[in-house]
Amino acid sequence: MELTQVRYFLTLCRTLNFTRAAAECHVTQPAFSRAIARLEEEFAAALIYRERNSTMLTAFGREMQPHLQAMADAADAAQALAAARRQPPPGNLRIGLAPGVSAAPIATAIAEVLRVFPSAELHFSESSAPALAESMLADALDCALVPENSALPERLNRWPLYTETAVLVCPGAHRLAGKNACTAADLEGEILLVGDSCGGFGHMLEKNAAQQPRLQYCRGSVSQLCELISAGLGLALLSNRVSIAAPLTTRPFTEPELTRRIELTVLAGRPLNPAAANFVKLCRAQAFS
Amino acid sequence: MPKSPQLPGEAFIITLNLRLAELLASRRENPDWDAAYQQIVSTLNREGFYEGMLGAGEVFPDFLLPSATGHLVNLRDELARGPVVLTFFRGEWCPFCKLTTAALAEAAPRIEAAGARILALTPEAGGWPLKLQQRDASAFEVLADIDFGVGLAAGLVFKIPPLYRARVQGLNLPLRHGNAAWCLPVPAVYIIGQDGIVAWRFADVDFSHRPEPDDILAALARLG
Repeated sequence: MELTQVRYFLTLCRTLNFTRAAAECHVTQPAFSRAIARLEEEFAAALIYRERNSTMLTAFGREMQPHLQAMADAADAAQALAAARRQPPPGNLRIGLAPGVSAAPIATAIAEVLRVFPSAELHFSESSAPALAESMLADALDCALVPENSALPERLNRWPLYTETAVLVCPGAHRLAGKNACTAADLEGEILLVGDSCGGFGHMLEKNAAQQPRLQYCRGSVSQLCELISAGLGLALLSNRVSIAAPLTTRPFTEPELTRRIELTVLAGRPLNPAAANFVKLCRAQAFS
Repeated sequence: MPKSPQLPGEAFIITLNLRLAELLASRRENPDWDAAYQQIVSTLNREGFYEGMLGAGEVFPDFLLPSATGHLVNLRDELARGPVVLTFFRGEWCPFCKLTTAALAEAAPRIEAAGARILALTPEAGGWPLKLQQRDASAFEVLADIDFGVGLAAGLVFKIPPLYRARVQGLNLPLRHGNAAWCLPVPAVYIIGQDGIVAWRFADVDFSHRPEPDDILAALARLG
């Protein structure tokens, strides 16, 4: 397929009118119709119903539209982004993080964006997945990292990035700190602090383990949770991707193994500024260990 | 590899295309595979596809793409250091690409000695570009052509015809591509001069035909 054919088709999707679409693309209508027909020939399927008074997308046309849009945008972007390096400002990179999702795994991608676009500013915001989606719809965020299975509007594209595993966070002097790995049974008699920033691991444990520790609900950030653990108020299950500093330590939590997948989400169809667009591409291309 | 005829005193060289032809012949023994293969070649061979592909004498559009190792690579920056051998691959899963990347890796030191750099593009994402790069001991850099953008700009991308799509169903291409368009690029190779203009191109809609590394080296030598 040719980029011009794809552009013609996307213009036709918008106008649903051959005459107007051809005019917008600055070609004659016969040339325009031929280009669409050739695209349909290559796909071996009709994209458009041609009726006397109306032009409508076929089911196949509707299915292909968002994919072809993404590809045409990528073709424009690959070139425009290269040009953008030489014409500041590249825009700011605004990343949303769902509760308990660490920025550590994306740090190298961010560093690379800042190497190429040194004047870009970085904004993080931490909130629930639905609130992050709303911020994206309101253009207050460029992209967000959210757990798989978050209920989000369909207008968001989602790509799986990596899997997180729960680790037990405890004071370095705690009796469990010396164990190679901890299990639900080890938590007997302990208090487990659970909150939004625990990535839902506490709730997974409730569902999956026979023995249950005492749960203490605690709404707060990861750093506040860690302060409470240091003060001896309890232990917590956090993502293995979260950096934990001494005097706290982490132990692998193996029975049951608790995991969740993290996805990158972006609003479909909205062009991103160069800094954000390259961040998304780097994340999509990356092999997260 | 079957025994090849060998003239006395003359070493028989097993070229990349001999290996590719042998692989193709073995695949074509399966009639379903053969029908799917023929459908790709005949669909793309129709008039127009070749004219749509970017060719020699044209400016290759500049791009910025993520590399397998997490860097942003800019064509113009690379060209400032020397000519670029830009090669499109179908993917880490493709056995024809596997033979080609091995041959290219073997030739990489000679290509670099000629002052050129190899950039290999795959439409894959999510760690597959790194797998592709590491398979040949990272002899060249692999870039992720996210959403087929550069391939589309070069006119190389096509929607996979139904028979072949049925054969590759198990590869989960929407996950590999991060895009459910079910497209692939023609595995073309471009040599781009430092002026940004395509000096040489190899493009064949038959994905079992690839340029010999020696042809690439000869074209680089002609660049001067």
